[in-house]
Amino acid sequence: MKMRAAAYVLFLALLVVAASFYGWKSRAAFRKWQAAGGASTSSLGNEPDVTFANLQGQSETLASLKGKVVLVNFWATWCDPCKEEIPGLMELQEKYAGRGFTVLGVAMDDDGKSVVQPFVQKTQFDVGGRSMNINYPIVLGDDDVATKFGGLFGFPVSFLISRDGKVEKKYLGELTEDEMEKEIEGLL
Amino acid sequence: MIPPPRRHVLKAAVRGTLLLIAVCATFVTAGSGLRAPQDSSGLPAPSAVVQPHVYVSLDPVPREREFEVAVQAEIARGFHVNSHTPSEMYLIPTTLTPNLPAGIRLDGTIYPPGQLEKFPFSPGEPLSVYTGRVTMRLKLSADAHAPLGATAIRMTLRYQACNSTTCLPPVNLPVSVRLEMAAAGTQGRAAHPEIFGAASAK
Repeated sequence: MKMRAAAYVLFLALLVVAASFYGWKSRAAFRKWQAAGGASTSSLGNEPDVTFANLQGQSETLASLKGKVVLVNFWATWCDPCKEEIPGLMELQEKYAGRGFTVLGVAMDDDGKSVVQPFVQKTQFDVGGRSMNINYPIVLGDDDVATKFGGLFGFPVSFLISRDGKVEKKYLGELTEDEMEKEIEGLL
Repeated sequence: MIPPPRRHVLKAAVRGTLLLIAVCATFVTAGSGLRAPQDSSGLPAPSAVVQPHVYVSLDPVPREREFEVAVQAEIARGFHVNSHTPSEMYLIPTTLTPNLPAGIRLDGTIYPPGQLEKFPFSPGEPLSVYTGRVTMRLKLSADAHAPLGATAIRMTLRYQACNSTTCLPPVNLPVSVRLEMAAAGTQGRAAHPEIFGAASAK
């Protein structure tokens, strides 16, 4: 009888341990998502040492933009939420470019320049009632670039970088202009 | 020799331990392995958004017979993929492309129609998408020289998934199924009528 009771106690104890482990893992994953999925609140470290190809076929480094506040926006021509936020990014570019800010659009299409260039040249966006082409620089990204930014599974995703090259925030999903303006003003 | 009452207790302990292992395994896998791998933003890996299940309409498949291979794609909750005929030309369609062995011919591919849905990022135009569970079917023929015995049919399922705020990169997911090729005239048993319907029994 004692052995049977001991077996049940052991069973229940291990059950509690397993359930606690599961709960801990879930909470840890949620905290991680909260910390990284929205706008993070502390610096994410220095900007990566990364070189892009621009649509003219030349190389451009992210480091060459040091001294400016840069919003690095990863997008693709097949990504509807990415295109939805482009007019807002164009407004930010218009408003703050003269004060040392730029958006840098990094297109992640597998087919690269052959699809991105025609899209950029032909597509007009409605910015405050005006029909305009994208007004900020567009470069091409790839898996290597994505890895240097910590691995990118979803788009749009943007990184706000300070004048001295610190990655201040990461934004997954569509940006809200009001929030962005506050953040940019704070860094200019 | 263990006395009978103790043997009874021992059996109960063994049963309890086995049950415990099963329960622990369930908790541990639910907490890690069976979930789609995620990046630091909580998004699943693009290749984990669709789980394919593959079915063959005949078993075995006799030479000189038409048969079908179906890929049933289970799309993760909260995600959609573009249909085979997306609403806009720049969107990436879902495609199923077979790489067939000699002796097996593709007669056609049947895709389900897309559902028209609106999303927060496309408030104007509805998009033609697949959600939940969708089935794509390859209509195939085995000729008189198809290799006898076990044969693999390899395919690539290409899709591009989004949720209501974010899109994942396109994926080329390898999918395969094994079938048994038999001599012409062999009676092929109709398999998976829930997928292929009564037509597969003909």
